[in-house]
Amino acid sequence: MKFLMSLMIGFTLALCAAGFSSKAQANDDPIVIGAAIALSGFVAPYDDGPLKGLQLAVADINAKGGVLGRKLSVVTADTKSDPAQGTNAAIEVLEQGAEMVMVTCDFDFGAAAALQATAAGKVTFSSCAGDPKFGVQGIGPLAYTMSLGTPAQAATLAEWAYKEKGWRKVYVQMNSMVEYFKSLCSNFKIRWEELGGEIVGEDVYNFTEVKSFEGQATRMKQNTEKDFVFMCAATFDGPSLIKQVRNAGENTPILASESMDGNFWLEAVPNLSEFYLSVYGSMFGNDPNPQINDYVAKYTEMHGQAPFTAHSMTGYSLMEAWALAAERAGSFDSDAIRQELDKFINEDLLVGPTSYTPELHINLYRGMQIMEVQNGKHAPITRYTAEKVPPITF
Amino acid sequence: MIFLQYAIDALSVGGLYALAALGIGLIFGIMRLVNFAHGDLLMMGCYAMFMLAAAIWPVTILGGVVIAILVAVITECIAFRPLRSADPTILLAASFAVSFFLQNFVLMIMGGRALGVDIVPALNQHIVWDSLSISVLNLFTIALSVILMGGLSLFLARTRIGIHMRAASEDVRMARMLGVRVNLVVATAFAISGLLAGAAAIVVLGKTGLVLPTMGLRLTLVAFVAVIVGGMGSLTGAVIGGYAVGILEVVLGGLLPLVILPYREALIFTVVLLFLLFRPGGIIRVAALKERV
Repeated sequence: MKFLMSLMIGFTLALCAAGFSSKAQANDDPIVIGAAIALSGFVAPYDDGPLKGLQLAVADINAKGGVLGRKLSVVTADTKSDPAQGTNAAIEVLEQGAEMVMVTCDFDFGAAAALQATAAGKVTFSSCAGDPKFGVQGIGPLAYTMSLGTPAQAATLAEWAYKEKGWRKVYVQMNSMVEYFKSLCSNFKIRWEELGGEIVGEDVYNFTEVKSFEGQATRMKQNTEKDFVFMCAATFDGPSLIKQVRNAGENTPILASESMDGNFWLEAVPNLSEFYLSVYGSMFGNDPNPQINDYVAKYTEMHGQAPFTAHSMTGYSLMEAWALAAERAGSFDSDAIRQELDKFINEDLLVGPTSYTPELHINLYRGMQIMEVQNGKHAPITRYTAEKVPPITF
Repeated sequence: MIFLQYAIDALSVGGLYALAALGIGLIFGIMRLVNFAHGDLLMMGCYAMFMLAAAIWPVTILGGVVIAILVAVITECIAFRPLRSADPTILLAASFAVSFFLQNFVLMIMGGRALGVDIVPALNQHIVWDSLSISVLNLFTIALSVILMGGLSLFLARTRIGIHMRAASEDVRMARMLGVRVNLVVATAFAISGLLAGAAAIVVLGKTGLVLPTMGLRLTLVAFVAVIVGGMGSLTGAVIGGYAVGILEVVLGGLLPLVILPYREALIFTVVLLFLLFRPGGIIRVAALKERV
């Protein structure tokens, strides 16, 4: 009986506390932005940049007086790189009063947190999940992603290679372990053949960790028809593959996507040349867009080191987008903000012109910066936008 | 010519797998412990080399090998020695614990981002001969594995502690009664497995140029497969198994049509399954492992 009493008292106290905190929020306290992301574990490197980008955006917005006269503050919770922990992380930031939630840069790792946050009626952004499912169809009407959709990334690369480089024959090398790679490679092939290009060779492997690529390198080298190699891989497998391909004396140009962004892996292939990739922006202070160079400088000042990859820009831009929508809505009501977000047409954000519709919460026609690596140095070539994107499937 | 190219690839991959399988086979022979943390010794060696990358390359390499040996001996002292007389399944569970610990330790300190490193620039070269292009690293791998295997068999045949080690793997209790110091023998076996892991680390880092906390996982699995195929408890078997898996991997990678290619791993594991079903003792059966009735 005593136990029951204390339980009831505890419960009442908790209720009072909850009531008190919600009242406290109604005054001039800052608006809380929650980041339910991987702060530790294997996904953490992908969320680190977007969080720091978000923090920079919050500082910039606060310096200009906040949103609707209210300052912003950021709280975080760790999913520990475990999809199942996403729910708890989302609850944690929601309990701290989060009005908007940012989740992991991937559909699979971010979905649980996003479902929880949207169920609580909050607008939820993934920083850079490229799967079009991250939106109305896969999560719900309050879910958005700042990424350029994977089919659009593939089309951008295919069109650039075909039209600007004049390449005609491709060798496609894919890691089939990750959905993003499968979608990237299959959409690339669709657009490539539409353009009139030819696929002269293909190879697939299925790994998520460091391995040796002798077989792949030899197979690739035997194909003498190809103009270039299109590679669907990331920095945990791609550098090893490139290293072994180059060590085998194969110097054909290699084209890859934003998952190969960053120079932290370049040591693996000293003096790498003839490597091309698309990124959100150059993180080396040489982007043709001075806004992006400013961003890199401010980020470096705030966090003590330059961004590892341009994915951090998606964290910055989702904050820009939410603040803009809130200002236009004149309220922090999630539904009002959603309606304003859905009206976005080529809004000028750091990552580039951004549009949303009530049906599509991912961008398909936004340019990517094409970069080249010669002698181990990144240099920007051009910002390129696809003209036609293969139809998306959810 | 293309045959020769694949042969060199296969010998190099097989050599690496044989080194890893030897490390696992050696410990299993003596302790009946399937050391799932073996790949993590390699990972620790790789991270040590990554941190010493600024030094001249002999220091880098030596540092990595020494760290792998040290970690091997320390894990033996702390994790496995107190469990020496425990059931093999408990030892297996302990090795998983060691593996998780080492991976998370590195993850905590170094983070989960794959980091690039180039330890011995000379290994990146390749020799072009007619239509063949042979990477120096492949030749190095083949030579290193042959030297280490030769060295190990000489050590086991000629040195006192090597003979004790063989005695212990035949029958630990009997060996102990005859005056074999089991602690020393087991510690030496772990040191050798650390050395083999360190050597494999040079090859892996030379091939991949990346360090990642999970990088040892695949090599452990492949080595485990090699040990099963070769015959649990037999070192010759482990080497044969290592080469068999390496050759199979390269041949399948070169011959399989594209649609089946992603399932290459599954095919290799099918071979293991067939061995377990039809020849559970592996290619070389070890008498000491048979249940005595």
